[in-house]
Amino acid sequence: MFGPLGPSLAPYIRSSKTLSSYVKPFANWYANLMGYRQMGLKYDDLLVEEREDVQRALTRLTPRETYDRSFRFKRASQLSVIQQNLPKDQWTPVSEDVRYLKPHVVEVAKEDDERKVWDTIAVQRK
Amino acid sequence: MLAARTSAARSASRIARQFSSVVDTAGIKVAAVDNGEPTSAVTFLVKAGSRFETKPGVAHALKNFAFKSTNKRSALGTVRESELYGGVLSSSLSREHLALTAEFLRGDESFFVDTISSFLTDAKFTRHELQEYVAPVCAAESTASASNPASRALELAHIIAFRNGLGSPLFASEHSDIVVDNVKEFASSVFSKGNVAVLGTGISQEALSKLVEKTLASLPASAPASSTPTKYFGGESRVESHGGPQTVFVGFGTTGAPSAELAVLAAHLNPQSSIKWAESTSPLAAQIPATASVQAVSLPYSDASLFGLIIQGETAEDVKVAGKAAVDALKAAGSLSGDELKRAVAKAKFAAANAVEGRSGLVAALGPKVLAGSSASVQGLVSSYDKVDASAFSQATSTLLKAKPTFVAIGDIQALPYADELGL
Repeated sequence: MFGPLGPSLAPYIRSSKTLSSYVKPFANWYANLMGYRQMGLKYDDLLVEEREDVQRALTRLTPRETYDRSFRFKRASQLSVIQQNLPKDQWTPVSEDVRYLKPHVVEVAKEDDERKVWDTIAVQRK
Repeated sequence: MLAARTSAARSASRIARQFSSVVDTAGIKVAAVDNGEPTSAVTFLVKAGSRFETKPGVAHALKNFAFKSTNKRSALGTVRESELYGGVLSSSLSREHLALTAEFLRGDESFFVDTISSFLTDAKFTRHELQEYVAPVCAAESTASASNPASRALELAHIIAFRNGLGSPLFASEHSDIVVDNVKEFASSVFSKGNVAVLGTGISQEALSKLVEKTLASLPASAPASSTPTKYFGGESRVESHGGPQTVFVGFGTTGAPSAELAVLAAHLNPQSSIKWAESTSPLAAQIPATASVQAVSLPYSDASLFGLIIQGETAEDVKVAGKAAVDALKAAGSLSGDELKRAVAKAKFAAANAVEGRSGLVAALGPKVLAGSSASVQGLVSSYDKVDASAFSQATSTLLKAKPTFVAIGDIQALPYADELGL
């Protein structure tokens, strides 16, 4: 239920200028504290991928995105083995920490929902 | 006496199966004929065949993209909803045209016209649909076509005969590098008002015009797709292939509007009998070995035609014998006259008239004419065969044979004959 794919207040906060100016410094502080940027990962790399819809979304990445994703995973697991972070100049910059996978997952979820609707539809003929 | 009466009866019977009028609806040509069928069919004919493609295989990909998701409804929604209506959606590609067809029960036309229209006006062309649905179907169709020696020979013959334009292959190559942007670009260039004709059967002209006007209003108006006039080249090609019969294609091409003479020539040479268990009266039938087959094909296009003989056999020796007989018969065909010519004309005329009996045949025969804005009547199509006489026929045949032959051999290329060995 909660997690990267769960309900989010972010769109509401982003729509309000005052609110986002309050929340943004805290959000950035928290994102840096999580530590994934220090390992060269992006936020969408943390998505639970042992799910059918996420697996299908992964096939829809461009070849370049897929290559970069597996490179980041390899690098991060090596860092985990040697118990170190990347040198600071190689941390993921905020500008590159984009949701590259979530739109695909949302699209797949929408397709699954539509299929469910069509499978259980009650037809009313006029 | 009997002959005179039958011919009078033939010309007296009016052929009602024709599009009575072609109406220009906001720049789109709409033609419909209602013969009281229990179902209706609507075909959107687009000048988007492989001849007009910008990159090899893109027309094939566009054909398979038909009825995928649009801004109005998803691919799944299209399938499920048309199933609820009990209709059938299909798309087919020829070298010159892409045909999107919906067949449905009377009264459901608003949904089905809207479904096809929305593909023309706001298809999404997503990358994942190309990968997940379109590319596998393209690859399967290409593989199926490439593993059939006859269709492979025809594909190669077109390349040799016409090089580009009509020569561009109908199917994408098995490992094509088409990306979704290619398809999008091609679609936006061919989906325009001057490039589309709507043909309906079992639906009234007014109803169809009204629907088309409403649903295709947002289609951009631009000039119809153009291509360079076709030139005929000819040449020889040999391709090694295993499995399947040994195949040789011997063909000749002409440029200019297709003529009835070539269809008559094909009807004359075709050794397939019209009656079961009987031998055909074709000059070829007696001379080809039992394990070989010969088929005469006449493929007319808007500004060129390709006439040819597909010769197949179990062994290369069979093909050689049958090929020699076929070429001899082709060369002797010019002197055809009298009853033999009349028989060939009648056969060709029947084949043409019989083809337009069905819905798809009618659309295939008259659709291009509607798109070109010329008169679309079956009468004209069939009566052109009446004008074939001995002198016109022998002239057409001799000009055809003067051109450089197109020769394709597929199979055991060490043993299959060369063009000069068949007397070409």
